[in-house]
Amino acid sequence: MKKALVVLAGLLALASVANAQTFVWPQKWTVAKPSEVRRGGTLRASVISDYRTFNPFITAEAGNVPSIISPYGLVRRDPSTGDWIPYMAESFTVSANKLEITFKIRRGMKWSDGRPITADDWITTWRIHTDKAVGSNSYDSFFIDGKPITLQKIDDYTLRISYPKPDATAFAVAAFVPWPAHVFGPVYQREGAEGIKKMWTLNENPDNIVSAGPWLIESYRPGERLVLKRNPAFGEWNKDEAGNPLPYLDRYEIKIVKDTNAQLAEFLAGNIDVLAPSTVDHISQIRQAIQQGRLDATIKVNASPVASSQFMVFNWNKSSDPFKQNLFRSDKFRRAMSHIVNRQAVVDIVYGGLGTPMYTSVYPVLTQWINPRVPKYEYNLQEAAKLLAELGFSKKDREGYLVDNRGRRLEFNLATNAGNAQREQMAKLIVDEAKKVGVKINFSAIDFNTLVGQLLSSGADRPFDAIIIGLSGGDLDWPFGSNVVPCKGNLHMWNKSGQCLDPRETQLDALYSRGRTELEFQKRREIGFQMQQIEAQLLPVIYIAGHNYHPAWNNRLGGEHPDALISAIWGQRQLELTFIKR
Amino acid sequence: MTAYILRRILYLIPTFFGATFLAFLIIQMAPGDYLTQLELDPKVTPETIARLRAQFGLDRPVYEQYLLWMNNLLHLNLGYSFAYQAPVLEVIWPRVVNSMVIVIPSTLLLYLVAIPIGVYGAVRQYSLGDRILSFLAYVGLSVPSFFLALIAIYLLLQLKFRTGTLIFPVSGMTSSGFEQMPPLRQLLDIAWHAVVPVLVATANDIAGLSRLMRGQMLEVLGLDYIRTARAKGLSERVVLYKHAFRNAVIPFVATLGGLLPSLISGAGFVEVVMAWPGITPFFLDAIANQDLYVIAGFLTVSLVLLMIGNLISDLLLAWVDPRIRYD
Repeated sequence: MKKALVVLAGLLALASVANAQTFVWPQKWTVAKPSEVRRGGTLRASVISDYRTFNPFITAEAGNVPSIISPYGLVRRDPSTGDWIPYMAESFTVSANKLEITFKIRRGMKWSDGRPITADDWITTWRIHTDKAVGSNSYDSFFIDGKPITLQKIDDYTLRISYPKPDATAFAVAAFVPWPAHVFGPVYQREGAEGIKKMWTLNENPDNIVSAGPWLIESYRPGERLVLKRNPAFGEWNKDEAGNPLPYLDRYEIKIVKDTNAQLAEFLAGNIDVLAPSTVDHISQIRQAIQQGRLDATIKVNASPVASSQFMVFNWNKSSDPFKQNLFRSDKFRRAMSHIVNRQAVVDIVYGGLGTPMYTSVYPVLTQWINPRVPKYEYNLQEAAKLLAELGFSKKDREGYLVDNRGRRLEFNLATNAGNAQREQMAKLIVDEAKKVGVKINFSAIDFNTLVGQLLSSGADRPFDAIIIGLSGGDLDWPFGSNVVPCKGNLHMWNKSGQCLDPRETQLDALYSRGRTELEFQKRREIGFQMQQIEAQLLPVIYIAGHNYHPAWNNRLGGEHPDALISAIWGQRQLELTFIKR
Repeated sequence: MTAYILRRILYLIPTFFGATFLAFLIIQMAPGDYLTQLELDPKVTPETIARLRAQFGLDRPVYEQYLLWMNNLLHLNLGYSFAYQAPVLEVIWPRVVNSMVIVIPSTLLLYLVAIPIGVYGAVRQYSLGDRILSFLAYVGLSVPSFFLALIAIYLLLQLKFRTGTLIFPVSGMTSSGFEQMPPLRQLLDIAWHAVVPVLVATANDIAGLSRLMRGQMLEVLGLDYIRTARAKGLSERVVLYKHAFRNAVIPFVATLGGLLPSLISGAGFVEVVMAWPGITPFFLDAIANQDLYVIAGFLTVSLVLLMIGNLISDLLLAWVDPRIRYD
């Protein structure tokens, strides 16, 4: 009896250790039950542009190799709620003054080369990212308003992150991906930033690339294919609810296919398993192939909007042309311009019906952040004409364009980047509608870099009237741009004089800072709603519309997200929970 | 002859500096630079971008950048790619080798097919065969290769839908699982992938070259010495191949030197459409990103090969054409 108790106690102790060590991937993230899952097989995907490096400190493009093989950090988001949950940390505590978060690191995690993962790995990674000479793209994320965020090792499995001020996006920073200190540390000590930059180029032997995530590099053929294989060390502490190690797949192959038509052809031929087509033509070809029984696949049309925006912005800094400057600074004028944007026509014509109109800076896909009571200055030419008349433009000249009582014609230039067919179409729609109310818009498509140069120029006199462009890269914690909303921001595109010109800009600037430091989600959302109200009245930029996300997959695959989770933010599946049915 | 070669080599030096400077200048004249894209990233501060500009040396005057680059070049260092953060040669070389897999067979095929077609067209002028070949040549000349590639992909897919098998792959250079194959299977796999791109890449050129050959041959066949040869009672075969063909082919010898730069310059848009990992898609990316030293480095290598190629062409001509003397 006594012996049995000892064994039982031992077993319990073991179980608690195992629990502390294991991250269980919730059943609600997948449609498949652990019992239906088959292990093994290869998932085949494709990307448009080639990879450039395996080095996590100098990689710059989205969807880079380091972020594929090892995507996670101390915390991650639960796609079913959007909340931050402990991941490589087993728990965390936030200090009373909200300036420190202390993380207990999960014990028993190993790098793919067998070495334990400890606090040192985070410290070294942070040191290298914040070395100016390395030129890491993550550099800026470790600073708030120019003040540094610092990491402190309490012991091997305890890490403290200190923030210069309370920050709503604190966890997004804490979620940075650790890389092995025992690989990068010695080089950094010996050769500094220059040594780091030379590491893990594409010519590196894949066996030397160490990962904490689900994948290891098996082989890479330049411009052609990246083959990843399961990282067994990951499966030791990542399990499904039945206790099976993850990922289920043996391999994950990514073909580099520069042409979207060729990608589609490969998907139709059954040679790649996942695709997110963006044009109506591609979507209908996939649907046709499915209907005619030539392809066994699933496509979710209009699964969600995408996390990017398209908008028209007017230049408030035109000291050389006071007439235009006054016009562009008038919210009545901008409201009139919003009334001539036929967003439904944009969705129908530009996106073939597969798009979503936009009214504020918050991407429509971030549903919980969208203020439903915000006024929308919808397409309404009478209303536009009325507002313009109030501004003194009630007469028309011989060509049918509006003039004020001094005979000055209502006319301005509009530019977008050449080669972006969708933006060019939007511009043409706007030009046509403007003509109906008597506004003359001269449209030109110019080189992208020239456009960006004009848009981001600063001072009292900037060289453009209006531009159509888009932004992407938002945040679920606080969906307002840190360098868009503040008047000194680099992307405060309408007014780059360096100071607020409209009292509502000042208000937005203040609200932005308040929201960013508000840690209570509900309160923060209220501030966000208020900001959207002011944005809608001020209309610093006129939002147009964006396309939608339409994921497709070959039915060889199982383990996609439940429908409610499929969106541009969470994607179609967790690769770790994906398996091959046949 | 030796004096001539030396003189030609001396001429190459100013040409080289002039051409590289011009290339460098044109790339630099394009608005913006490699970091312009990053400026629209809401997460990156202007200070960071300015710092990166300084690190990449993009904040210096153009002539200074050129001199630095030239200095590296004379040490046989093509410079550094911003995007890959690696030496240019290191990132370009594998792509060039991949392109050669298409370019070399396609060049051989071109000469082997186009020249006989041209000769046939000249000897049997206005016959039914000549008319059919002429028609095909005009079609081949007028359809751009990227479109031909799209048509090929479409046909392969239709065949797959009807028969359930892919006769040739739709894109790429190797199959999934290539790394696990034995060497011979790997070779066959690449060959199998190369068939369609090679045919597509060659189609346009065959059309052009065969018309040229036909014209040349017709011109030679109308000359006096051919009439003399026939009057002597030589067999038609000897007249055609020993006398006419040898002289008609001389202009093509001159084009052999030009093949040298085309060896590395890739097979063109076929590579993009059929996802062949060659130099073309890579180079287009470099241009789109303004990856300065990749563009400049690649142009420089092409330029050197072009200069050497031209020299070889001239020497070959002198060797095969007794009417040319370099003294």
